[in-house]
Amino acid sequence: MDRRDFIKTCGTVAVVSMLNRDFFSQALAQQKDGMFQAYKKALLVKQDGSPLKEEDIKPHVNYIFFYPHTATPCYLLNLGESIPPAEIKLKDGKSYKWGGGVGSKKSIVAYSAICAHQWSYPTPQYSFINYYPPDTPSETTKKAGIIQCCAHLALYDPKAGGSVIDGPAEFPLASIVLQEEGGNFYAVGVLGKDQFQQFFDNYRTELRQQYGSTAKARELVDKCIVMEVDKYVQAVVRC
Amino acid sequence: MSKQWSGVNRRELIGGAVAFGLTAPLMVYARTQKRQKAQVVIVGGGYGGVTTAKYLKKENPNLDVVLIEERPFFMSCPMSNHFLTGLMELTPLCFSYNVLEVKHGIRVLNDKVLGVELDKKVVRTSSGYIAYDYLVLSPGIDYDVEDKPFYKESLVYNPPAFKPGSEHIYLKRLIEDFEGGDIVITVPPPPYRCPPAPYERAALIASMIKKNNLKAHIYFIDANERPIINSEGFLSAYYDLYKDIATYITSAQVRDIDVHKRVVKTSHGDFKYDLANIIPPMKASGLLEDAGLLRKGQKWVEVNPLTFESSVKNVFVIGDACQSYLPKSGYAAHSEGKMVAKIINARIKGKEVKEEYLQMICYAMVSDKEAIMTETAFRYDTVSKRFVPTHREDNQRKESTAKRYEEWARGLWRDLFG
Repeated sequence: MDRRDFIKTCGTVAVVSMLNRDFFSQALAQQKDGMFQAYKKALLVKQDGSPLKEEDIKPHVNYIFFYPHTATPCYLLNLGESIPPAEIKLKDGKSYKWGGGVGSKKSIVAYSAICAHQWSYPTPQYSFINYYPPDTPSETTKKAGIIQCCAHLALYDPKAGGSVIDGPAEFPLASIVLQEEGGNFYAVGVLGKDQFQQFFDNYRTELRQQYGSTAKARELVDKCIVMEVDKYVQAVVRC
Repeated sequence: MSKQWSGVNRRELIGGAVAFGLTAPLMVYARTQKRQKAQVVIVGGGYGGVTTAKYLKKENPNLDVVLIEERPFFMSCPMSNHFLTGLMELTPLCFSYNVLEVKHGIRVLNDKVLGVELDKKVVRTSSGYIAYDYLVLSPGIDYDVEDKPFYKESLVYNPPAFKPGSEHIYLKRLIEDFEGGDIVITVPPPPYRCPPAPYERAALIASMIKKNNLKAHIYFIDANERPIINSEGFLSAYYDLYKDIATYITSAQVRDIDVHKRVVKTSHGDFKYDLANIIPPMKASGLLEDAGLLRKGQKWVEVNPLTFESSVKNVFVIGDACQSYLPKSGYAAHSEGKMVAKIINARIKGKEVKEEYLQMICYAMVSDKEAIMTETAFRYDTVSKRFVPTHREDNQRKESTAKRYEEWARGLWRDLFG
C-alpha cells in the first residue's frame, strides 16, 4: 500500500468505524482492492422528510432513493427474511465481502439501480431494471425474487450481494452499504464495482435536462428521500 | 474522402516502410524494432469491429489496436427500420469513430482495405500496408448478385437498405415520396443479415400506410415458408392488423425484375410495383474471398465456433461474414467481438479463456407502437462440446416491448460509443 492509498484508507475507515466497529476490519480489507468507497453519511427519509423507520419498509416493495450522487438511483428492498453476509466473486477472480441485510431481521438491502451491463436505470419516464418479488416471477425468465433488467435480461440476486444470476452482465450490482443507528438508516458508502463514471459519461444530455447541469447531478447527498418506485417512475416496464 | 492515420506519426510510418523494405509512395505502419507491443488490426467498423476494438483496449489499455473503416461515421442498421418509416430520426443512429480514439486510444484509420496478405501478415489499404500480429476481420456482407444480373440492376433503383448509409437515406426518400399504389417487398432465403428485419420492415410500412390512409397494397414476397423468427408474432400482426392492405406470399422465388416496367417476376406470378424494396441474397464481403478465406462456392467463412478463428492462426472472422451457430445480427456481432477480444488478450498473456456465455436478443416492431421479441442464450457444454441454446420468444405484441427495444439499442450504442 503506497502513501496515497494509506491516507485514503485511513479516511474511509475513520468515517465508517465511527458507525460500526465490526465494519472496521471489513472496510480496511476491502479498501485494499478498492471495492469499498465511503461517501457522505446520508440519512434515509420518507417523502415528508421524517426519518425512515424499519416498519416503513414493507417486504418486497421496490423502493428507490438517490445515493451517493443526486442523480445515481438505488433500490431499497426488505426481502422479508434474514439475509446473511456473502463473499461476492467477480469474473476476474477478485472477490469482496458483502455484509448482508440490516435491520432487526437483517432483511433490508440496498443496491445501485444502474444496470451493470449497459447502464439502464430508472428515469422518471421508464424503469427497465426492477425487482421481481417472490410471488411475481418474470414472464420472460420465470424467475422471482430477483432484480432483472428488461433491456438485455441481466439478472441479479438481491439475496447475494447483487451477484449475477444469469444474462450478459459482467459485474454484480454495486451494493449500497447501510448502517442502522438509533432506529434510523444511513447510507455510508458503495461496495463493489460501481458504474458511476459510465453513467455520467453516457447520460450527459439527459442529466443536464433533468438536473440543470451535470455538476448538480454529481453533487453528493446527505439525505435520501425513499419512495416506492412506481411513484417515481411513470411506466415500470416488466417482462 | 480524406484518409486519416489516427495516432500514427510520420516517423512510425517511415520507420515501418524501411522495416518492410518498401519504397514510396506506399506508406507502411509496421512493427519496428522499437515497438514491442502486439498489434491487433481490425477490419470493419460495424458492431463486431467496434466492440472488439473497445473491449481489447478496455482489458488491456496498453495494447496497440488499429481499426480500419472506410466510412467516416458509424450508422446502426439495428433500428434503421424506425428511421425508414418515420419513427426515429437518423441522428440517434449515427456516431463518430473519433470517440474510440479520444476515449480509448484506438487508432482509427478511415481508409479502404484493398486486400489482406495472410502470408505476410499485412493488411493493404489505399494508403499503404499495416502489419498485424492478430487480425480481426469484420467486414460484413455483400449482396450476392453476380449470377443474377436482375438483382444487380435492381440495386440501383430499389435500394435494399441492408448496408448502413446512403441506401437507407434513398429508400427513406422513396417511401416518403410514395403517394399510393402497389408496394413489393421481397425476402431472400437465409442466411442473410438480421433475420427479423424484412418482416419488421413490411409490418412498419404497412402500419405507416394505415396511419396515413394511403390507397396502397403491399405484396410481401417471402422465399421462406414462414417468418424465420418470431413466426407466430409476425403472422398474427399480418393477419390481424394488415390483412386488408397486405398480401403475404410464402415460398416464392424471385426469378426476374424488370426495373423499367416495374415488375417483379416470381414463382407465384408477376407483381407490378410503384415502390419496391428488393432484398437480394447475401454473402460474406468479397474481401474475404480475395484474402483466400472463402473457398470457391462458399458464401460465408467457416470459423472455429469456440474462438471464431479462421483456418489461419490468429486471424478471426466475426459478424455477419462468418458461418456460425449465431444469427447474423448486430447483437451477435457485438457478442462475438467481446469474445474475440477476450481470446486475443488471453493469448497475449499466455492464458486460456474458460467460461463462455453468448446471448442473442432480437426485437421487432409489428406496428408503430408495439413490438415482439426473442432471446436465445448459448452455453458451452463441455461434454457434448457444443453450444446449447435456450430459446424464448415473446410473440405477444406490446408497447412495453417496443420501449424495451429502444432501450436495448441505446444500451448497445452506449456500450460501443459511450
